[in-house]
Amino acid sequence: MRVLIIILVTAAASAQDSSGVAFFETKIRPLFATRCAPCHAGSNRTAGLNLSTPAGILRGADSGAIISRDQPETSRLLRVIGYLERIKMPPAGKLSAGEIADITQWVKLGAPLPEGAAAAATAPSTPATKVWTGRQKSFWAFQPVQEHPAPRVNNTGWVKSPIDAFILAKLETKGLAPAPPAGKAALLRRATYDLTGLPPTPEEIDDFVNDRSPDAFARVIDRLLASPRYGERWGRHWLDVARYADSTGADEDHRYPYAWRYRDYVIEAFNKDLPYNRFVMEQIAGDLLPAGDGGLNAKGIVATGFLALGPRLIAEQDKPKMLYDFIDEQIDVTSRGILGLTVACARCHDHKFDPIAQRDYYALAGIFAASRGFRKIEGTVSQMHFEPLVPAAEYALYEKHQQMIADKKREIDLLMLDEQRAWLKRAGPKVADYVAGAFEVHKLNRPEAAVASARALDAAVLRKWIDYLKPKDEPRPHVDQWSQSRPGNYTEAALEFQREFDESLKAWQDNIDLWHKRIAQAREKGEAAPERPRFRDGNHRFFIEVSTRKGPLAAGEQKHFSPEAVQRLAALRKEQEALQKASPPEPPMAVAIVEGAPVVQKLFLRGDVHSPGDPVDQGFPTVLAGYDQPPIRQGSGRLELARWLADPEHPLTARVMVNRIWQWHFGEGLVRTASNWGALGERPTHPELLDWLTRRFIESGWSVKAMQRMIMLSSAYQMSSATSKAQADADPGNRLLAHFSRRRLDVEEIRDGMLAIDGTLDLTMGGTLQTGKGTDGENAEERRSINPATSKRRTVYLPLRRSNLPSLLNLFDFGDATTTTEARARTNVAPQALFMMNSRFVEERAAGLAKRLAARKDLDDRARLAEAYLITLARRPEAQEVASALDYIRTAGWESYCRILLASNEFVYVD
Amino acid sequence: MNGERLLSRRAALREYACGFGLLGLRSLLEAAESNPSSPLAPRKPHFEPRARRVIFLFMHGGPSSIDTFDYKPRLADYDGKPLPFKRPLTFAEGDVGNLMKSPWEFRRHGQSGQLISSLFPHLATCADDLTVVKSVVGDSVAHGGASLQLHTGSNTFTRPSMGSWVVYGLGTENQNLPGYVTIKPSLAHGGAKNWSSGFLPAAYQGTAIGHAGVKLDDLKEPIEYLTRQGFTPEQQRFELDMLQKLNRRHALARQYDPELEGRIQAFELAFRMQTTAPEAFEVEKESAAVRKLYGLDRPETSDFGWQCLVARRLAERGVRFVQCSHSYKWDQHSELVRLHTRNAREVDQPIAGLLKDLKARGMLKDTLVIWGGEFGRTPVVQGGDGRDHNPYGYSMWMAGGGLKPGISHGATDDFGYYAVEDRMHLHDLHATVLHLLGLDHEKLTYFYSGRYFRLTDVHGNVAHKILA
Repeated sequence: MRVLIIILVTAAASAQDSSGVAFFETKIRPLFATRCAPCHAGSNRTAGLNLSTPAGILRGADSGAIISRDQPETSRLLRVIGYLERIKMPPAGKLSAGEIADITQWVKLGAPLPEGAAAAATAPSTPATKVWTGRQKSFWAFQPVQEHPAPRVNNTGWVKSPIDAFILAKLETKGLAPAPPAGKAALLRRATYDLTGLPPTPEEIDDFVNDRSPDAFARVIDRLLASPRYGERWGRHWLDVARYADSTGADEDHRYPYAWRYRDYVIEAFNKDLPYNRFVMEQIAGDLLPAGDGGLNAKGIVATGFLALGPRLIAEQDKPKMLYDFIDEQIDVTSRGILGLTVACARCHDHKFDPIAQRDYYALAGIFAASRGFRKIEGTVSQMHFEPLVPAAEYALYEKHQQMIADKKREIDLLMLDEQRAWLKRAGPKVADYVAGAFEVHKLNRPEAAVASARALDAAVLRKWIDYLKPKDEPRPHVDQWSQSRPGNYTEAALEFQREFDESLKAWQDNIDLWHKRIAQAREKGEAAPERPRFRDGNHRFFIEVSTRKGPLAAGEQKHFSPEAVQRLAALRKEQEALQKASPPEPPMAVAIVEGAPVVQKLFLRGDVHSPGDPVDQGFPTVLAGYDQPPIRQGSGRLELARWLADPEHPLTARVMVNRIWQWHFGEGLVRTASNWGALGERPTHPELLDWLTRRFIESGWSVKAMQRMIMLSSAYQMSSATSKAQADADPGNRLLAHFSRRRLDVEEIRDGMLAIDGTLDLTMGGTLQTGKGTDGENAEERRSINPATSKRRTVYLPLRRSNLPSLLNLFDFGDATTTTEARARTNVAPQALFMMNSRFVEERAAGLAKRLAARKDLDDRARLAEAYLITLARRPEAQEVASALDYIRTAGWESYCRILLASNEFVYVD
Repeated sequence: MNGERLLSRRAALREYACGFGLLGLRSLLEAAESNPSSPLAPRKPHFEPRARRVIFLFMHGGPSSIDTFDYKPRLADYDGKPLPFKRPLTFAEGDVGNLMKSPWEFRRHGQSGQLISSLFPHLATCADDLTVVKSVVGDSVAHGGASLQLHTGSNTFTRPSMGSWVVYGLGTENQNLPGYVTIKPSLAHGGAKNWSSGFLPAAYQGTAIGHAGVKLDDLKEPIEYLTRQGFTPEQQRFELDMLQKLNRRHALARQYDPELEGRIQAFELAFRMQTTAPEAFEVEKESAAVRKLYGLDRPETSDFGWQCLVARRLAERGVRFVQCSHSYKWDQHSELVRLHTRNAREVDQPIAGLLKDLKARGMLKDTLVIWGGEFGRTPVVQGGDGRDHNPYGYSMWMAGGGLKPGISHGATDDFGYYAVEDRMHLHDLHATVLHLLGLDHEKLTYFYSGRYFRLTDVHGNVAHKILA
């Protein structure tokens, strides 16, 4: 049949008389709305057809117009509703004759529609390349990083570093003075939590307080930066950005069994001060960067976990959508995490506020689409790709061995099935006798022994039949006819059961035969043996229940298998065991992204993966990278993306990270929306300082530690957290930094700090505490993350099941580990107080500290109290406190007072 | 709540208020600012509410509509015949069976003549209180996405859950109890994301009472950390007084920091909570007749009966949003008859008990009860004697505050596959629920990651036809 062409007859549409339109409005529109709307209205546009607007009706489906005004009777609409084509609409049942008549009449009238429909009927099309205005391009965040001289200030004595000049200049213009320097003990507590997430020890406090040399604090900073604890704290900051977790979350929450390698990589990167530009490149394309020794870049592969270990739907059945949700997530973490831009907002349309076009989004999507994070997408539950960290040949050996084990297991399964078959063929013919016999005993109250002997039945088996057949609390349609049969017809009923059993047995045997056949075929072709073909239990419920598990005809290996089979099974199992023993251990693996097949990425209209528009070349956002980007010729483009991000001239990468470093020290960044530098984000409070720091960062070779040393040596960092009424009134948000911002400890610091304080913190580094693979039963306890109260390792090493994070982490604002986190919230709510008052964990820590103090036989109570204050609060108690505390301890004991110290505001807040 | 974040939200408001319908946000903001220490303080809705609280009875797994509330007589004619149209995207692969009529009988009940199958004999006696929606539509054929969309509006991204939005919008009436409680929730199919506050402040997350895998007998402490064994309230008060003494001394030396005072207040609230909250769970204080009404006296109904009774006690005490979960049981890919019978038996009497009890106490008129699963099931058979997932048209029912009782709304096609009349997408359901609570779903917004978010994303229409 000739394909109908779109005919847009604007003149005809406007010329239609009003009665035709009225007919449409009263008869046709309501009909479309009730009968077709489920699939063809609003945002539901199956086949691209939208019948909810005149424009949509006129536009037709993706395949073309549905109405021909020239030859109305050939209109596709009429053929489809007339069930004259392959596609019949509505699919659930033909319209009524009256409804069909109405539509036919309307179409024959020339399908009159309200005016203006034609103008709006043009098909949605791929938006053209955006040309950004000067104003859009000159937005502050997209400008190159400038060099600014440190401003002049009056109070030069406060300026220890150019940083201070930038801060002080602003304060002075507002007539504000910076806070005095923090006390030494307070400064040490601040720096130690800041860099390691742990409290300073009494020895460290005394050392520093007594060290009068001018570089005392510089040496503290160096000591802390060199501590392995540093990477555990600062790596965790980055893991927030990377929305790190150890499972997919989303629908099925499958474990990422190797995610921990990425976590360890991040901790090591901070500890070794890996240059940040290198860190970024490795996380985007580490697998494509050469290793130092020319071999496999295992570390680089692990680093791509940044892209790979986000939340993933894996049981979504719309697989193309599933894949592009995964890609969307990668675009989101990359753009917000590294660039501070919300590129993912442009999935469905051009960004509403920022110069990021939908085309820009799909230019990036093309890069990730040509990369691979899934092993097998097809199937109810898609399989993730895990990358071996050993040469391919070595991994192949491992896989081959696993195949041998699987083959052996299948051999055992098949032998057992064959033996079961033999048994059922022998036992099967007695089904009717057993069913009838069971009736005679159970319903007719005949003696069991008599029935058994009369029908030549095994009495024990007969008892099993009775147990199985007698009515249960639940209805069983496949068995209930037994108890409903009567003395007059139970033998016929029994024969009915026999027939059903025989039929099922045959179907079941056919299924096994089919499997044998397929295995043989696969062997001939040299392919891997297939799984057993589906056997639909529901059609054979009686047979399955009777002949498996504890059913009356279940085959007992010792009892019903042939002696040869029993012998052979034992041998096979031994072989399987030996194979398992001989198996090489699983090679190290990573949750990683690797190169995939090339794709021609199309722009998806309205973000709908099923509405492809024009192709879009792989590339980077045009407002930053311009329009003449060199084409990506080879591979996915991830390597080019990595290089573009890590370019020292990039206006965002270094600056965004410098701002994060500042935020992680001061609580707030110079840009207070660390992951959104777009129009709706905040403007920097100190733009010149931000640029100045960024320059220094790049000059230092992108050294995070050098940046931190510089920041911490400033007067700004070393200010007291005390504030005055004038400051509080003039600058309640402390945007000008007139004082250091007091902060509540993060959940890791609370937990790790308490463990350190009672001396039980386990400082083992790296590795994983997660066991198992895949997911767990729907109601299984194993779906929860490990309980933080049961481990003594640092919190950063506790595995995170994304769907069920430990409640302790939720309680103290950990975030949800499903999207990149720019800053932790810091709340004070009653359930946190309950944790402090009532949890076993705090109870144990308080008891541990009390024990630790009691062990100090060299100290009296007064000195013990001083030690307790030093350990928990990094200071000694004042005289007044001593009296009141010792008084309290005499009544309520040390343990209670230790809990008070741990629950106190002073412990939970850092000045 | 972090004062600075609020300030920046206000700054954002000032800058962009003209472009958005933000009146709702502004009033929330003012409420929060007038009482900054409690994000859970009660707040005025956008307009006069019809319901003041929600009890959501979640039937995890997906009960079959066409075997419960959506009677399809024509299915009987087609029993054993192939589906006369192409099957949509399904969950189970390559296992298309023929149509299967409902094994249960449907009868008309009550004055309204509401059609309910023989699976729910107790609930049938409440037929005149039910507003059955037969045309619910979701976008996911798999449990995870479907459950997440039902609870959060999105089957793809992590978003705040419905209960979190409600408490964010309205606060809660009893500061000694959480505002949003979910009883024995499932850890699967989204797990805690189904009651998480997402990007809303953590104070709005649901408080889980145990989880679906925990037996009632093992549920010693309904709310984590609520009590301390071997410690009298007097001892604890004594300890708390000393702690507060330290805290006040600490705060005195650190002026102009409202957070420190906030934390002092949090401890006082916690102390009140632990004194009063456990009582809400003491169902043994109810009369024998009430416990029997909920089926607490029989093993098969005692679990869900306990959940429903606790839900009523919490609702009575001012908890804004309570969810009960019948653990992942309704997923009958096979053995529909045996297992749907068992499941219905476990929930039927408790639910009817809840409705009757609420009514007797005069609470049903301003309590919104919602019943449903994450989807329905297909009219075609699967696995020989089961049904597959069907999100294209399924039934949920609601009862109580602000609804027309004893009606059914919407319809599916002759087979119960697709919703064809008055479709109610989950976004529409959410919009309607918020509406009944006095919240405009387009105005209940939160600024996050560069834009304003809603429970209903950019969708949602209130189903005015079912409103009284």
